[in-house]
Amino acid sequence: MPEAESDLLHEWLRRTAALTPGAPAIVEDDRVTSFRELFEQAASLALRFVEHGIQKQDRIALVLPKTTDAIVSIFASLLAGAIYVPIHPQWPKERIEAVLEDCAARLAIEGDSYPPRIRDCRTGACIPWQAQSTAPASPTDFASVVSLSKADARDPALILFTSGSTGRPKGVVLSHRAVGAFVRWTAREFQISSHDRIACPSPLGFDLSTFDVFNMALCGATCVLVPGDIVWMPRFLVQFLRQARITCWYSVPSILAGMFQEGRFAEHEYPDLRVILFAGEVFPGPGVARLQAAVPQAVCANLYGPTETNVVTWCRVPFDFDGSQPLPIGHPCPYATVTVDAESGELLAGGESLMNGYWNRPEDTQRSFVRLNGKQYYRTGDRVSLAPDSSYLFVGRLDRQVKRRGFRIELGEIEAALARHEDILEAAVIAAEDGRRGTIIAAFVRVRAAGALTLVEAKAHCARTLPPYMAPDHILFVDTISKGSRGKIDYLALGRIAEGLNRGNQDRS
Amino acid sequence: MEIKTEVRNYIAENFLPNAPAASIDDAMPLITGGVIDSIGMITLVSFLESRFEVEFMPREIDVHCLDTVERIEQLIVKKLAGREPGVAEGKIQ
Repeated sequence: MPEAESDLLHEWLRRTAALTPGAPAIVEDDRVTSFRELFEQAASLALRFVEHGIQKQDRIALVLPKTTDAIVSIFASLLAGAIYVPIHPQWPKERIEAVLEDCAARLAIEGDSYPPRIRDCRTGACIPWQAQSTAPASPTDFASVVSLSKADARDPALILFTSGSTGRPKGVVLSHRAVGAFVRWTAREFQISSHDRIACPSPLGFDLSTFDVFNMALCGATCVLVPGDIVWMPRFLVQFLRQARITCWYSVPSILAGMFQEGRFAEHEYPDLRVILFAGEVFPGPGVARLQAAVPQAVCANLYGPTETNVVTWCRVPFDFDGSQPLPIGHPCPYATVTVDAESGELLAGGESLMNGYWNRPEDTQRSFVRLNGKQYYRTGDRVSLAPDSSYLFVGRLDRQVKRRGFRIELGEIEAALARHEDILEAAVIAAEDGRRGTIIAAFVRVRAAGALTLVEAKAHCARTLPPYMAPDHILFVDTISKGSRGKIDYLALGRIAEGLNRGNQDRS
Repeated sequence: MEIKTEVRNYIAENFLPNAPAASIDDAMPLITGGVIDSIGMITLVSFLESRFEVEFMPREIDVHCLDTVERIEQLIVKKLAGREPGVAEGKIQ
């Protein structure tokens, strides 16, 4: 991989488009977009943004599935000096609107068919997706775009909205430099080149998606988009992996585990596959061992870090890993500095990949950072211990955040969503582990009057207000919610009830 | 047993514990109504595939095809009708 001069993510694309214009940048089903086409489309769209009055650091919301058009929109936003805000189109309308409002988006790009709609969030006016003139943006036009975007590497490039414990998603602001540090390291460590075909099924709102999108721009690799409808369908995913001759894969462990259990991953060979990275949640030891055994030629690695820091530690799976012990989260990446709070065992992470802060939440930002020896660290909330080889082991959380299928969930956000229903007086939500199904979420709900709310109505309320992965598996109507002596909800007691449920007991207490 | 009854029983048992299967009417929105989430949809499809010995195409695993008991039945009936001996069905190209 040749070293890139610029620290700006869109400059990587410009450079690669000049070096290998005809090479495939994005493959989406039958549609192949070359680097030249990708850059031209992005530059032309960026020009229209600028003509529309988009200013440096304005927010452009991409309410889009992970498609070629969405990636064009990412680079168009960056070329125009704006910040892109990916929002999953399957979120409930209420949540999408709340995020658009929170980040004060100037434009929202939306729609699941071609062409996407570009809406001015203030005036409601629409900008056409395609340029009025058919001629591609000329090099002079490129230059004018580029001259507009003399961004600093510390400027925000994107905002990723993640679950917030008080009931509102919070926006993690990441700079060009933060994303760049991670992507450059992966390019070097995993020797990513123009021969690679990278697949990452995570939506764009996930930090995992910085890996494929920006390694494409940096290294000239091809970003092969996983069809959205097969992401959770293991047998089609396995077929995709083979037919698309993927060389680098990056996903949450849940998706890999599904490919083994239902997709019969181990029955096939993957001669092209050379790198498998996973992050976002704990991958149980036996699953890791099965993976490495099934693809002995591939480098498999566990990448660790909350969205606020992207990846800060990593651990390469040993070739003889037997899975009897959990896989560590490993050693720090070269751009990261990590340390442990001696008292609480909390991992503190700093370095180049650190977020700028939370969008519009100075107090939360201040609370989440700590200064040690003149360096800024993020409090990860993850408890760790040190293994004999001085690598870090993940022990657990210090708060009520849980991971489910790799999605990060604040249980408090579910409680707040339930409590917004007029018939619900009080709600307490807990998570429990179920060997077969993974993380199970149970909600205990006290309603205004017996029969005021049916289970179907309660579930429909959750579907209207929460993303699908946050919806509780069990909703239990209770007369009282167990409290401790100080009137605080006794989550341990609720957890015991939920454990009973998972053993197949009655689904009502 | 009728297809609809089997589907209703499965949904009641797995997604609406303690609700009688009969309370799920043919047109009740299951996925858009929040009864079944996206992973639930995949497990529903696994159930339908093994119970009725059919295979789904990725495109059919869709909110519109599976949102009500009625539509699920229509899809299964269509699949069963299209199944001929010796023809491998539902393989993606």
